[in-house]
Amino acid sequence: MHVRSHRIGHLFVFALLLVIMLSACGAPGSAVEGGSLVYGLTLAPSGIDPHIDASSELGIPLTSVYDTLVYQDLDGNFVPGLAERWEASEDGRTYTFYLRRDVRFHDDTPFNAEAVKFNLDRIASPDTRSRKARGMLGTYSHTEIVDDYTVKIQFSEPYAPFLDSLSQVYLGMASPTAVQQWGAEYQMHQVGTGPFIFREYLPNDHLTLVRNPDYDWAPSVYQHDGPAYLDEVIFKFYVDPAVRALALESGEADVMGEVPPIDAARLEENPEFSLIQVPIPGQPLQFFLNTENPPTDDPRVREALLYATDQQAIVDTIFQGYSPPAYGPLSAATMGYSDQVEALYPHDPGQASALLEAAGWVDSDGDGIREDADGLPLALGGYLMSWGYLPEVGQLLQAQLREIGVDLRTELVAFPAAVEAAGQGLHNLAPMTFSGSDPSLLGTTYLSLNADGGFNWSNVRDAELDRLLTQGLTEVDDTARLGLYAAAQRRIMDLSLVLPIRDYENLNATRASVRGLRYDRQGWFPWLYDTYLEE
Amino acid sequence: MLRYIGRRLLGAIPVLWGVATLVFVIMRLLPGDPAALMLSESGGSAQAIAELRNELGLDESVLIQYGRYLARLAQADLGTSLFTQRPVITTIAEQLPSTIELAIAAMLVAVILGNALGILAAAKQGTWLEGSIMTGAVVGISIPIFWSATLLIWLFALVLGWLPATGQGGFRYLILPALVLGFASAGAITRLVRASLLEVLDQDFVRTARAKGLASRTILFRHALKRAFIPVTSMIGLQFGFLLGGTVVIETIFSRPGIGRLMVNAILWKDLPLVQGVVLLVALVYTLVNLATDVVYAYLDPRIRYG
Repeated sequence: MHVRSHRIGHLFVFALLLVIMLSACGAPGSAVEGGSLVYGLTLAPSGIDPHIDASSELGIPLTSVYDTLVYQDLDGNFVPGLAERWEASEDGRTYTFYLRRDVRFHDDTPFNAEAVKFNLDRIASPDTRSRKARGMLGTYSHTEIVDDYTVKIQFSEPYAPFLDSLSQVYLGMASPTAVQQWGAEYQMHQVGTGPFIFREYLPNDHLTLVRNPDYDWAPSVYQHDGPAYLDEVIFKFYVDPAVRALALESGEADVMGEVPPIDAARLEENPEFSLIQVPIPGQPLQFFLNTENPPTDDPRVREALLYATDQQAIVDTIFQGYSPPAYGPLSAATMGYSDQVEALYPHDPGQASALLEAAGWVDSDGDGIREDADGLPLALGGYLMSWGYLPEVGQLLQAQLREIGVDLRTELVAFPAAVEAAGQGLHNLAPMTFSGSDPSLLGTTYLSLNADGGFNWSNVRDAELDRLLTQGLTEVDDTARLGLYAAAQRRIMDLSLVLPIRDYENLNATRASVRGLRYDRQGWFPWLYDTYLEE
Repeated sequence: MLRYIGRRLLGAIPVLWGVATLVFVIMRLLPGDPAALMLSESGGSAQAIAELRNELGLDESVLIQYGRYLARLAQADLGTSLFTQRPVITTIAEQLPSTIELAIAAMLVAVILGNALGILAAAKQGTWLEGSIMTGAVVGISIPIFWSATLLIWLFALVLGWLPATGQGGFRYLILPALVLGFASAGAITRLVRASLLEVLDQDFVRTARAKGLASRTILFRHALKRAFIPVTSMIGLQFGFLLGGTVVIETIFSRPGIGRLMVNAILWKDLPLVQGVVLLVALVYTLVNLATDVVYAYLDPRIRYG
């Protein structure tokens, strides 16, 4: 009896100690406050004012500095942000936003209707020379202040992508006081309302954010309330792809964006690291087929190219299977993606050959390349640029097209030279991509008014396509809008304007101790608010 | 001597004007439209591109643009970067310290290593030591720095963990970049120092000194070196040019801020004011380095005197 009670006593003490130890370590999954995270960016952007500049890279740090009026959850629904609720008029020309009253900027000035008007007017003003945000406002006319916390935003024509634009960092709300105080140097001293404060920025070297202790208005897309967990986030720039994985593995960085697929495969195997794959909505990696330059001016030739390309092989070889193959002008993660396009051009070299024969291209001299009736070889000129693994893709594509007797001659050029040459229509194939969650971005590359001097590199001028895309911008009914864009995607592929290769997938590698890191609907931008470092 | 220096400095002005004009012309001949490039990430419409080009003043006649450019330069105003919209001078000032740090460190590595090995090779002429040093010199000149840089990062940062892989901020971050860049230059200096020294050691006055009983070391260091350094000084000046060019590769791989990377990006993206500002700065630095070289020349060789 004496001994048994001792044993029970020991057991009890042991259990008590265990409970104390466990609670001290923190139950698995509960966030740890504090710590400094080093985040590897890939490209030092030019300027970094989101109202002015266009690079997606600037959004990565600044998404944590600014809040937006509305947020987009990962299913594409719009939820309250700095605006508690909103109403859209029947004709889609007026939006009324009812703002939160408890929000303050990092410089302790209040967020209110004045601030919203200031921000939108700043973006819309020609003096600002905004390169992206202005375009995202579409047919914006002006903002009316109803009272301290209510604004009416007016459009001259209904602009359907408005909420999508409003949910992005490019339309983030900046402190009017700070903008006016700093003028042209504001980008070095940015002030928002977000969970992190912009501390300092040395171009090409680092950008530091520190936690905002007063943050108390987290939108529902986030997973907790109150201030963020991390003390600070330091962004560094790693331009050379070979060095990115090295920097992560040597402990210099905790998170590394756009890791090369081969390194990603290796890191995934390593329990010390995690791989976060994020599909990027927008256009896929693709080649525009110039409809004005022979031989791609013949639709049969363009269709043959589409049948001859084996996207799956390219994805497996070059991207280690990390991206889904693309079959249409939009990637699958984009709102309004229509899967009709997937069955249109299956990999069928036989069909490709048949089309070329019908178009008069036959290999008469047995050199493996087809010629036409005059003996002219079926040669295509294509530009390649050094991003997106285009050189490798180009090589594989060359080999695939050779099998059906097409000689694809590629030229690796610097981006500016390629943009100039493609803008002049000197190519048969030219690669280009624009990302974004709203399908209206198709207009940039398929509207006829962008054919001369714009980015419509297939030089298509199709009245039906113009109608679908223009109507898509103003259509207020969501279902009707999706129908318009589905028809547009179908039309683009029917006209065989583009050769899609693969959907973009951002490969982010992190140390296994980094938890709670998620990416927003745009795919590029991390939500660092819920991120913490496990001990 | 002072008058000479003054004359040289004055002579730098037409040189800089020539460089400024040349840069202006070349940048406009290169393909690429800054407006289209600036909108290429967001996908602007053709109209937006045209408007931006107009706003940036790129539509105006070349002569007007040139005139405005020169007028600003005369007031020491380097203009505003097209892409960041910040003053060029501010951007350069931010990026310059890192490059200077790197260039000086690499120069030190090159000069110290190059001279030491060159002297050793000449002193130990005919031995295996000389052979291996000369082989090492050739290797240093031949290895592409982007390859050796990545290799050293892998070895010292990942495998051994002794040094940081990338970044800037102090002595530790400077070691690998300076070694990589300096080693390439050291090879050339080694070869020249050795050849020059051997030639000097072969001359009559050396034979006389030896006959008089002076120690080899005294002959070498007090008499021969000073003369042997004359061609080497020129070489070092030239190597400085190579270093400035090499910094862009090093800065990219080691993720350091710097003028090299700044300039390459500015050229690629046709940020005209930024390119012009950086090139002018580099031309100025180069002119000053050349002047310094010539002054050192005069000190080393009493036969050379400037009026």
